[in-house]
Amino acid sequence: MAVSPLVFPTSSSLTSPLKRQPSQQTTTTTGNNSSNGTPNFGGFGAPLSAAKAILSNNNSHQDPSSSFSSSASTPSPSLTLDPIEQMNELEKRKYVKGRKLGEGTYANVYLGHSRSDPSVHVAIKKIKVQAQYNDGLAPDAVRELKHLQELRGHPNIIQLYSVFSSKDQNLNLVLEYLPLGDLEMLIKDVDRVRYGAGDIKAWMGMLTRAVWFCHENYVLHRDIKPNNLLIAADGEVKLADFGLARGFCDPGWRMTANVITRWYRPPELLFGARHYSGAVDIWSVGMVFAELIIRTAYLPGNTEVEQIALICKQIGTPTEDNWPGVTQLREYTVPSEITPVWGKEAYMGRFGAVGSEGVDLLVRTLALDPKKRITAREMLEHKWWRTEPKPTRKEDLPKKSGGGEEKMGADLKRRNGVLEEENRGSKVARKLDFGAMK
Amino acid sequence: MATEDARYRESSQYRLWSFSPTQLSALREKTNAAARARISDRLLSHPLPATSSRDLSAPTSNANTPDPDGNGNSTPALPEFLTPAEELTLVGFYISETLRASEMLHYADEIKATAAMFLKRFYITNSIMTYPPQEMLIVALFFACKVESGHVNLSEYTKTFNKSPEEVLAGEFLLCQGLRFAFDVKHPFRALRGAMMELASLKDMQADLKRLDAAEARARKILQFSPLMTDAYFHYTPSQIMLAALSLADRGLAERLIQETFHFVAMEGNSADTPGANGGAGEGNNNKNRANEEKAAIIGSHLRDKVLGAVEACRDMLSRELPERKEHWTNKPFIKTQITPLRKKLLKCKDPERWNLVELQRVRRQQKLDSDDEDDGGRKVKKEEDGDVFGGELGHSAKKRKVTVKEEDPFGEPLRKVTVKKEEDPFGGML
Repeated sequence: MAVSPLVFPTSSSLTSPLKRQPSQQTTTTTGNNSSNGTPNFGGFGAPLSAAKAILSNNNSHQDPSSSFSSSASTPSPSLTLDPIEQMNELEKRKYVKGRKLGEGTYANVYLGHSRSDPSVHVAIKKIKVQAQYNDGLAPDAVRELKHLQELRGHPNIIQLYSVFSSKDQNLNLVLEYLPLGDLEMLIKDVDRVRYGAGDIKAWMGMLTRAVWFCHENYVLHRDIKPNNLLIAADGEVKLADFGLARGFCDPGWRMTANVITRWYRPPELLFGARHYSGAVDIWSVGMVFAELIIRTAYLPGNTEVEQIALICKQIGTPTEDNWPGVTQLREYTVPSEITPVWGKEAYMGRFGAVGSEGVDLLVRTLALDPKKRITAREMLEHKWWRTEPKPTRKEDLPKKSGGGEEKMGADLKRRNGVLEEENRGSKVARKLDFGAMK
Repeated sequence: MATEDARYRESSQYRLWSFSPTQLSALREKTNAAARARISDRLLSHPLPATSSRDLSAPTSNANTPDPDGNGNSTPALPEFLTPAEELTLVGFYISETLRASEMLHYADEIKATAAMFLKRFYITNSIMTYPPQEMLIVALFFACKVESGHVNLSEYTKTFNKSPEEVLAGEFLLCQGLRFAFDVKHPFRALRGAMMELASLKDMQADLKRLDAAEARARKILQFSPLMTDAYFHYTPSQIMLAALSLADRGLAERLIQETFHFVAMEGNSADTPGANGGAGEGNNNKNRANEEKAAIIGSHLRDKVLGAVEACRDMLSRELPERKEHWTNKPFIKTQITPLRKKLLKCKDPERWNLVELQRVRRQQKLDSDDEDDGGRKVKKEEDGDVFGGELGHSAKKRKVTVKEEDPFGEPLRKVTVKKEEDPFGGML
C-alpha cells in the first residue's frame, strides 16, 4: 500500500526523536529544488512525515502542563498542518509584520515588509473578528477580498499581494503600501498644500481610470470619497476600500440603496432606488471633483433629508421633466420649492478654476437622471484632458509631508461608515423635515 | 487596454482554478495520497478512545507493528482508504445534493452554481476523507449566499438544515482557506443571455424566435447542472461552456454564433495575396480592407478552429452529465449500491483529527489562547527584533514547527507559468 513508506520513517522518529531533524532538513532542500511547472507528487508527502515527526515529539515529551485536553477522546491539541495550511504558512512567512499603523473596530493595519527584500514595504490589513456580527466572516471582508482578487494590475487600484490567516483564523490582507496619505488630507490642508488645475486634472485622471476599470470589470465600488483615494510614494492615486463593492446585478435583482457615504451619495440612492448602475460611482466622482476645486465638501448634508435639500438647491430639483420616472422611486420626496436645474454658467463662478471644459465635465457627472449622467468611459474621452493645462506629472504633484502612513492606517482600518443605519423616515416625515429646515 | 482575454487571465478563476485534465487528476491523486498518509499517522498516533488508557502508560508503543500481547484493540489496523476515483464519485454525489438543496431553497442560479464550485474546488486540495462533505456542503451553500448576495440570515439558514450556527461557522474559514481566499466564480449564465440577444438581432433569426426560446431554455437547464457535475469549469472559460451548452441544445445556433464572430475569416484567403496592393480601390475602401485584414489576422481561421475544438471537447464533457442525469444521482438503487457503501467506507477511514469541525475549531481557539498573541507585535519588541512577529502556530513549539514548512507551494508552481493551458477566450465579450 502506498501509505506504508510514509508511516515507517515516522515510527522510527518515535523511538529516537532527535535523529529526526537532519532528515527534515534534507526533505526541505529537495523541496526547494523542485520548481518545475508540474504539480509535484513529493510535495505533499515529504513535509507531512516531517510534520508528523514534530507531532510525535510533542507526544513523547509530553508535558502535563502543556496538555490542556481534559477528555480522553479529545485529539491532541497540536494539530499538524494540512497542505493548504502549509501553503498558508509559506504565504505568511513571506512577510514581516511591523508596527501598527492604525487600529479600528473592523481591522488593524500594520506596516510590513517582504522577508526576502526588506526594502519592499507592504501594508497588512488584519480583519478583526467582529463582535457585533455573529454570522461568521464579515460581509465587508468578503466583498473586499472578492473584488480585490479580481481587480489586479491596474495602477490606480490598490493591489492585493497576498492573503493569509494568522492564529485563530484572522484574515490578513497584504496590500500595496501607500505612504503619502490620501486626497482628503491634501484637500483639507489649505494652509500648507497649494495645487492648481493641472494637479486636479492629474488626480481626476487617475480616479477616472480607476472607476472605469472597476466598471469595465463589472464592479461597482459604492464608496468613492477623498479618503478612499490613497497616494503612493510616486504620487499615483489609488482607489482603495472595496468593502462595499459588488458586482453588477442582473436586471431584476435588487441591491441595497444604503451605500456610499452621504455627501457623495447620488440622488437615486437617496430616493431609495434598488436598481442602479455605475452612474452611482460617477456622481461620487463628480463630488470629489467639486471638492478638489473648492477644497471643502460640496454638499455636506448632515442627514439624508438635508442631503436631498442640498442637491435640490445647488444642482436642481429632480422632477419628472428632468428625470422621467423619478417620482416613482420608493422614497422620492423633495422640498416643495422647485429649483430648476442650473446650467453650466452657474458653476463657472465657483468652479471656473478648471476652465470651461472642466466645468462641462463636472456638470455632466452631476446629471440628476442617472441615465443622462456621463459614464466613466465617456469621461475619459472628454475634451478637458486635452485642453491646457496639461495634467501634472505624478512625480511633481503636491505632497503632504508627514502623517501619510498613519493616514493609510486610519483609512484602511475604518469600518465603512456607510452602512450606518440612518433613520430614513417615511415620506411624510421627510416632508415635515423639509418644512422645518426653512 | 488589455483585451478581454487578457483580463480573464487575471481572474482568480483562471489564475488559481484552471487546470489541464492531467494537472487536475494529478492534484486529486496527490490530495488522496497525502490524506491517506496523514490519516494513517493520526490513527496510529491517536489510538481510539477505547484503547487510550492502555496507551497513556506507553505513549511510544509501536502502534503500527503487531502488538506482541495479541491484544487486537490496541493495534488499530489501518482502514481501507477511498481511492481517488471513489472520492470523485462521492464529491459528485454531494455536488448533486448541493444543487438539490439549493433548488429546494429557491436560490438563484449563481448561488447554486457558486456553492457547487466552492465544494468542488475545496475538494481538489482537501480530501473528502479529511473534512466531512455533508457538513461542508452546508457551509459552501451558506458562504455562496454571502458571496453572491452579501448577506444571509444564519439562524434561519441553519434551521433549514437542522444545524446549529456554530456547526456552519466552524467550517467557514476552512472553506475560505481551501478556496485560496478567492471567492469570485465566473458563470456562463450571463453569456447565454448575451448570446441569445445577439442571435435574436440577426435578421433571418427573427422569424424563428420560438427556436431561440427553446434553445435558451434547454441550454440554461444544461448550464444549471452539467458543467457543475463535470470538470468543465476547470478546463473551459464561461463562454466556451455556454457555447457547448448551446450546441447541445441546438447545434445550428451555436455554429451560427461562432460563424458570426469569425465572419472576417471569409476575407482571409482573398486578402492574403493583396497586402499593400492598391488595386485602384478608393482610399476609404482601402483603409476598410486593411482594417478587415487586421481583424482577420487577429480573429482568423486558426483561432476559430481552436474555439471550435474547445467547444466540441467541452460539449463532450457536458454530454456525460446531461440534466436528465439528475435522476440518476437520486435514484435509490444507485445510492444503495454505489453511494452507501462508499459512505460506509468513508466513515471508517475519516480523519480523526479533522472530521469534527466544531471540535477542530475549539482546538484551534484553545491553541490561540495558549500561544502568544501576535497582535501585540508592536509591543513585543523582543519578538519584532528577530523579525519573527508571526511566530509559529503552536507557541512553544514554534521553532520546531517551522521546519515543517517547506519552501514550496503544494499546488506546484504558480499556475500562470504552466504552459499546458486551456484555449484562450476569443469571446470575451460574452463572459
